[in-house]
Amino acid sequence: MALLEVSNMTHYFGGLRAVDSYSLAIDPGEIRGLIGPNGAGKTTVFNLITGIHVPSEGRVSLNGRSLIGLRPHRIAALGLGRTFQNMLLWRHMTVLEHVKLAHYSQISYGLMSAFLGSRKLSREEIRIEENALRLLEIFDVAHYADQIVTNLPYGAQRRVEMARAMAIRPKVLLLDEPTAGMTTEEMIQMIGIVRRLHEQFKVAILLIEHRLKFVMELCGRIQTLVFGEVIAEGTPYDIKNNPKVIEAYLGREDIT
Amino acid sequence: MEFVLQNFINAMQWGSFYALIALGYSMVYSILMLFNFTHGDIFMTGAYIGFGAATVLLFLTASVGISVPGWLLLILTILISMMLTSLLGIIVERVGYRPLRDAPRASAAITGLMIGIILETGNLAVLGARRFSFPSLIETVTYNIGGVYFTNKKILIVGVSLFLMLLLHAFIRKSRWGMAMRAMSYDYQVVPLMGVSLNMIAPMTFAIGSALAAAAGILYGMAYPVLDPYMGVLLGWKSFVAAILGGRGSILGAALAGFLLGFIEIFTAMIFPSTLRDLIAYTIILLILTFRPYGFFGQPYTTQLRL
Amino acid sequence: MTERLKEIYGSVPVIGWLIGMLVAVVTESAFGAGLAYALYLPKVPALLGLTVVLKQPSMFPAAILYVFLIYALPIFFAAGLTAPWANRMAAAMEALPLWLSAILHLGVLYLVLHLWTDMSDYRLQISKLTMIAVMLTLSINVINGYMGEFSCSHPGFMALGAYASSTFSLVLFRQDRLFGAPILPEFLGPYMFPLGLLLGGVAASLGALVVAIPSFRTRGDYLAIISLAFMFIVKSVFENLEVLGGPRGMGGQPHWATLPAVFIGMAVCIVVINNFVNSTMGKALNAVRDNETAAEAMTVNTRRTKMTAFMFGAFWAGVAGGLYAHELRYVNPSSFGIQSLAEILAMVYFGGLNSVVGSVVGALSIQMLSEALRPLELFKWIIIPLLLILVMIFRPTGLIAFRELNVKRTLGPRVRKSGG
Repeated sequence: MALLEVSNMTHYFGGLRAVDSYSLAIDPGEIRGLIGPNGAGKTTVFNLITGIHVPSEGRVSLNGRSLIGLRPHRIAALGLGRTFQNMLLWRHMTVLEHVKLAHYSQISYGLMSAFLGSRKLSREEIRIEENALRLLEIFDVAHYADQIVTNLPYGAQRRVEMARAMAIRPKVLLLDEPTAGMTTEEMIQMIGIVRRLHEQFKVAILLIEHRLKFVMELCGRIQTLVFGEVIAEGTPYDIKNNPKVIEAYLGREDIT
Repeated sequence: MEFVLQNFINAMQWGSFYALIALGYSMVYSILMLFNFTHGDIFMTGAYIGFGAATVLLFLTASVGISVPGWLLLILTILISMMLTSLLGIIVERVGYRPLRDAPRASAAITGLMIGIILETGNLAVLGARRFSFPSLIETVTYNIGGVYFTNKKILIVGVSLFLMLLLHAFIRKSRWGMAMRAMSYDYQVVPLMGVSLNMIAPMTFAIGSALAAAAGILYGMAYPVLDPYMGVLLGWKSFVAAILGGRGSILGAALAGFLLGFIEIFTAMIFPSTLRDLIAYTIILLILTFRPYGFFGQPYTTQLRL
Repeated sequence: MTERLKEIYGSVPVIGWLIGMLVAVVTESAFGAGLAYALYLPKVPALLGLTVVLKQPSMFPAAILYVFLIYALPIFFAAGLTAPWANRMAAAMEALPLWLSAILHLGVLYLVLHLWTDMSDYRLQISKLTMIAVMLTLSINVINGYMGEFSCSHPGFMALGAYASSTFSLVLFRQDRLFGAPILPEFLGPYMFPLGLLLGGVAASLGALVVAIPSFRTRGDYLAIISLAFMFIVKSVFENLEVLGGPRGMGGQPHWATLPAVFIGMAVCIVVINNFVNSTMGKALNAVRDNETAAEAMTVNTRRTKMTAFMFGAFWAGVAGGLYAHELRYVNPSSFGIQSLAEILAMVYFGGLNSVVGSVVGALSIQMLSEALRPLELFKWIIIPLLLILVMIFRPTGLIAFRELNVKRTLGPRVRKSGG
């Protein structure tokens, strides 16, 4: 049985079919890619898996446990971490606070402890902080720890977002266009970061990308989504040479 | 039956005030996604300006010795007050809202509230605690049709309100400025790129809303002649609620909800003791909003407080 | 010269300033009356002389001299002189558990307040009202600042707390025109008062639940409207409840809101709220405010978080309402309307959102300003709004917004850096 299993997931927005019987099975430690032109429904797939929208039809399960109908925070706590295309950082919070807050589901103290500042609270806060700092170091943003996140350079913000997603201890990490708005150089750097986090945390990764180079470098298998439908699936080599994919991307400059 | 009809007329009159004021809230919201919390006090100021204008006009005609028909005086009063009050609206936009366009939405709400307090207190400071009564510009004539009593003033109030609403509708639908307003309400961040300036449209919206509030103020003064610096507080907040009920930003919704609120209040007062009026009115509103969070004509929105 | 002053006074720890203030209030109780007489002041100036000056501008030099001799001189003299000693004290206290050190500081602060308010009943009353205002401001800051929703129902919560705790006291311990003979002996009353306040807080949180259930399904300014309607409904309900006095309200609450009671109430409120908003659990409020989708994706139960915070804020408003009722010993529905809402909002937005210090400063300055400007009568309500408009234009989130209060660092010693 696969770690994350999606079968025949379909979703309608109003009358519009945004995703059409999408299926996916990710095994532990795998890196998968999901590519497709703008508006193909890639982010919708993520939102359906993570519970932001509830799929109209189909099944989604993590470790054999169905995720359908669970609220997003429950799904996340079960081990589904994600990043967002436009990052969605918390603009008044510091870098450290971002990563600390993602430990939310692991907090063991109760509301009363939070009110009264019990010893349990301080112990727990220290543990969370240590863990958060370790993550910040891994993503090379520890020196920004006390800065408000909006003051950081763009690439660093992306890394903070990844550190935040890793703090929930995901079994599967969903990355939504992690190189959006990056230069080629930054993109190559990002390849290294994703590789490193994959090795270090042994986490399965599903990533959405525009840039084929990024996906080709990282992914073992790739799906191509066009108008909510998977039109091709296979190894990077298969995808690169699939005429349907070439057609869908025809005229797009970011083919390489 | 007569009783119901009688109250129907009262509700129409009471609803006219709410509807006219609610329009101002809704128009500003549709452009700036902000509520003009000074609006209730603009209504109050409009009534006072109208009072001033009427007094001056009466004094002038009396001292010159010509007799001018009451309806003409009334029209002049309304026009003068609408004009002057729209200036006030423009000032409020300039002082309280424009500097805060990029600030958190709540901050602009606070400046609006504070300008309102200044208007109330300023009024008290200038005119004192004395209460003024609005001069009766036209004779009251009472009609009786089949046992239903009503005055010419009530007809006039409802008529003028409806006329102003239609005028506003025509302006928004037909005129170039109205079109610009509609475009701006669609997206106030993009439209300015197309040569329509928010710095033109926003004051205009405030001005029109204030003019309508001023008209409401004078009509209110005709029906309930005692003016009071805090008269805008109660009516203002209730009209605000009506604007929400209509669906924020919806002009038609605001007008309809204004009348609806009038009906709810008059008819609950008919059945229950009048002390329960607010309680019942607000409870109904709370229930409606629970089931229709966006009001009657509002679109679902995703605005967050920009903090 | 300024460098030198900065160096001296930059090294005074909080306890040093408290000692300075203690010296000042002791000086005042010893020489205040005599000095006021010698300076031809009508009486000991209640609030730093501002009121006197506004009433009689010719008293300006005398008032300034009084403030200088009684407050400024002793405070700065004592604080500067005792700085090294105070720093050693602060260092010693730092070794203690934080709660103990905080209690010691609060104890000194209470002593200062006690001596200062001992001089006049007027001072006593406005001090108590100010502390209640601090509680209100802080509690609305949890909702409007930390959570970033715009709630207008605080007067309603306050009313619920005021009426619930008043009913508690009057039914149990007082012969009353509404409820008749007391049930319990009166001497128990002051000990049960915290229970009454708790009841007020719980009543307010239940009220908050009524607002929260319909309004947290959508975002944006929806809560503002629901909570506004709620405020009007609460007011209207109390106006119609003849059992609780109807529009005339309730009077004759026992005199239990003494200075220590209010002080302890405020201190507990500040400590609890500060603890909460600085914990990771409390930071979830900020995340919900800044981006709810992201918060939810990072395992935060946003619905529960919002509900908790809203009820938490309401709870403290209820407690404050209970204290308020027992301080004025009279409440009626019209004290909990738009006017009161405007005052609370003014305090929280003036002081600063998302900041405990900001709330304290906001409540303190608006409350003191409105007392000190009392001789100006009406113009007070032009000056304060104008001030607030200016603050909004230049600092849209308030004077001291987004500042975290780290108690340990604040109370710690300020030893001069070597070689500085």
